[in-house]
Amino acid sequence: MANENVLIIGGGAAGIEAAKGISGLGFKAILVEKRDRLGGTPDEEKYAALTPDLRDTQEALGDLMAPIKDNPLVDIHYNTLVTGASGELGNFTIKALQLGKEIEFQVGAVIIATGFKHFDPGRETQKYSYYELDDVITLTDAEKMLSEHKFVRPSNGEEPKRLCFIQCVGSRDRRLGNEYCSKVCCGISSKQSIEIKKLLPDCKIYIFYIDMRMYGYWENEIYWPAQEKYKVNYIKGMATEIVKKGDKVLVKGEDTTLRRPMEVEMDMVILAVGMEPSEGTQQMAEIFGLNKNKYGFIETTGGCLDTVSTNVPGVYAVGATTGPADLEDSVSTGGLAAMKALSAIRSLAVTA
Amino acid sequence: MPIDKKQIIELEKVTVEGIELGPQWNRMFEQRVIFDYDTEAMDKVTSIAGAESMGWCYQCTQCIPVCPVNQAGGEYGPRKIFRKLQQGIDLFTNDDLWKCTTCMNCLRVCPKEVDMIKIMPAIREESVLEGNVPDELQEVFEKTFEYGNPMGESQRKRADWVKEREVDVPIMKEIKRPVDILWFVECYPAYHNRGKDAAAALAKVLNALDVDYGILGTEEKCSCDSQRLAGETGLFEEFAEHNIALFRKYKAKTVMTMDPHALNAMRHEYPKMGSKSKVIHYTTYLAPLIDKMQFSKSLDYKVTFHDPCYLGRHNGEFEAPRRLIEAIPGLQLTEMGRCKQQSYCCGGGGGGMWLDGFMSDHINERLSENRVREAVETGADILVVCCPYEVSRFEDAVKSTGNEGKLLVKDIAELLAESMAL
Repeated sequence: MANENVLIIGGGAAGIEAAKGISGLGFKAILVEKRDRLGGTPDEEKYAALTPDLRDTQEALGDLMAPIKDNPLVDIHYNTLVTGASGELGNFTIKALQLGKEIEFQVGAVIIATGFKHFDPGRETQKYSYYELDDVITLTDAEKMLSEHKFVRPSNGEEPKRLCFIQCVGSRDRRLGNEYCSKVCCGISSKQSIEIKKLLPDCKIYIFYIDMRMYGYWENEIYWPAQEKYKVNYIKGMATEIVKKGDKVLVKGEDTTLRRPMEVEMDMVILAVGMEPSEGTQQMAEIFGLNKNKYGFIETTGGCLDTVSTNVPGVYAVGATTGPADLEDSVSTGGLAAMKALSAIRSLAVTA
Repeated sequence: MPIDKKQIIELEKVTVEGIELGPQWNRMFEQRVIFDYDTEAMDKVTSIAGAESMGWCYQCTQCIPVCPVNQAGGEYGPRKIFRKLQQGIDLFTNDDLWKCTTCMNCLRVCPKEVDMIKIMPAIREESVLEGNVPDELQEVFEKTFEYGNPMGESQRKRADWVKEREVDVPIMKEIKRPVDILWFVECYPAYHNRGKDAAAALAKVLNALDVDYGILGTEEKCSCDSQRLAGETGLFEEFAEHNIALFRKYKAKTVMTMDPHALNAMRHEYPKMGSKSKVIHYTTYLAPLIDKMQFSKSLDYKVTFHDPCYLGRHNGEFEAPRRLIEAIPGLQLTEMGRCKQQSYCCGGGGGGMWLDGFMSDHINERLSENRVREAVETGADILVVCCPYEVSRFEDAVKSTGNEGKLLVKDIAELLAESMAL
């Protein structure tokens, strides 16, 4: 007899939505999370506001997870790492470590929602000087400051008068092995520009880009307001290096529409770092024997028409485990996997 | 920024495809580094009411291929202006401010609605107040202010064309009663020799159709729409009040004009100042009356038609002129490639009518020359027009492009009168 419980690994937006879906349909969701709280990367990295609607992250995540808290159909296991798996669709045995103690779950299907990590620009030392220059930060560093409603130069605590974003750091790069576009960084840079302008209306903001990639409504909800209302300057041409110049940083690149080199002084530089598979995602791929693509993300089997099924029947991958994803993608695939997992288990019961 | 000698690259001798080139023929300039993106120039523009959309450009470049000034070699278009502003060029004192003819072809294709029709007059108004205006345009402003027309002709002679051309035209202050159609003649039909030809032809057509109409005669003053778009807002408003008062005095329900620029002002600007009169172009008025026209002469010409920017793109009238042309027996209409919405500007709008000297430093050919060449390519005998700016501009261009004798320029009214044997 098939086990109808579903295990969800990872308590970010995708995992939470999957647990909501399973429990909402009247089945048992077991949610394991390695940290001691839910919310995933947006919570862990202290995102200030979500893209594109600029809603406060904590408030939005609070609303998202409310239905699974104190829900008798959702067992949440914090501080828990999945360490092993055996069995098949309808009958998996999952081993896990919870604060040093081995535990076991019996489930019919598994949803992997272990997400991504941000690209570490330290891997590009000679280009962007992230670890060398205090005033060169990443989108995530900026989120932390914005969540505290304070935006200053790390080097001296003063408000920046001029700052720039450099897009595509760690993405669209064959040498780094990350040929893909990370999808969200153009929107997030523009969103942060708006937030910074709200805090510091006199700060001049420049975005150096190769292509602005604004999907769907991000175009009109973030990009256009950033340019038209907040007067963010978009300049086509990605900077190549950042060097110290006095107490400022010098950004060197080429303005491609003018076909002229540029060397512009900035108070701060924000690197628009992309996404890579998280360690958790890589480990889960190993444990469950899932195919990975060349970038280390979990490969789904159905192309664009099945975004969550993997090569192992009964194991589904959601959110940024399968590639760069925004929150819309994450909750969409989370809900989709809940439905697919239960229908797979239920169809076993019918054929049995 | 002056060019540093070190940035000049010049070899004593180079050989390109077997041809030796001396220093001045192989001179190159090392590209200067951009050290700053000063936002002040852009901020100064976008802070002006009406010019906000200058900052909205995302460099898609769709405006560039349709900008008539750019096509004539003028290195122009909203995308380029945006980029120059981003580099810190002061548009208020830059020649680029005066190149735009407000033809609206860029706005037609602009996905971001960067609106040069609002941006140009808003910025130019500031420059006019500062005295930064090309001399020849300033002269026209002064003449208009003093004489009521841009040519500096006497106001008292504004209705002289009627006697001169021996046509019977009712003048409002003489007939002293409201008419069905108040004909606002405007300056070029009233004073320019070829404009008078068209005006007289239209008068004959109106008379043949028994239309109850009248003109304002010496009371009329320039509509000043092009002066407004060239930045002279004060002058525009003063004259608009004058003309609106006349419309009111003569209880004008419908005003008709030959000039699409006057039409534009009276349709879009005058109502903001209290005018209640409906305004139509003479082609719009005449097209429904085709059945009443008695054509007695076949005009066996091949013709092509130039859509005036301010009749077509600005005011949406593309069909009436064509219906009239097609109604005239004998005429064979061949459209130019750039027609209707895509029509190419004659160069006269937005002050361009009075900037030919200034523009000659910035473009390879007049816009009117570019257009005349296109008209000649269709094999037409006649370039048909219905805007009084165009007859003079295109006739000059026919001469300067060496097409004299090959192409005539005629107003639709002239062709109607000819075919009706009036």
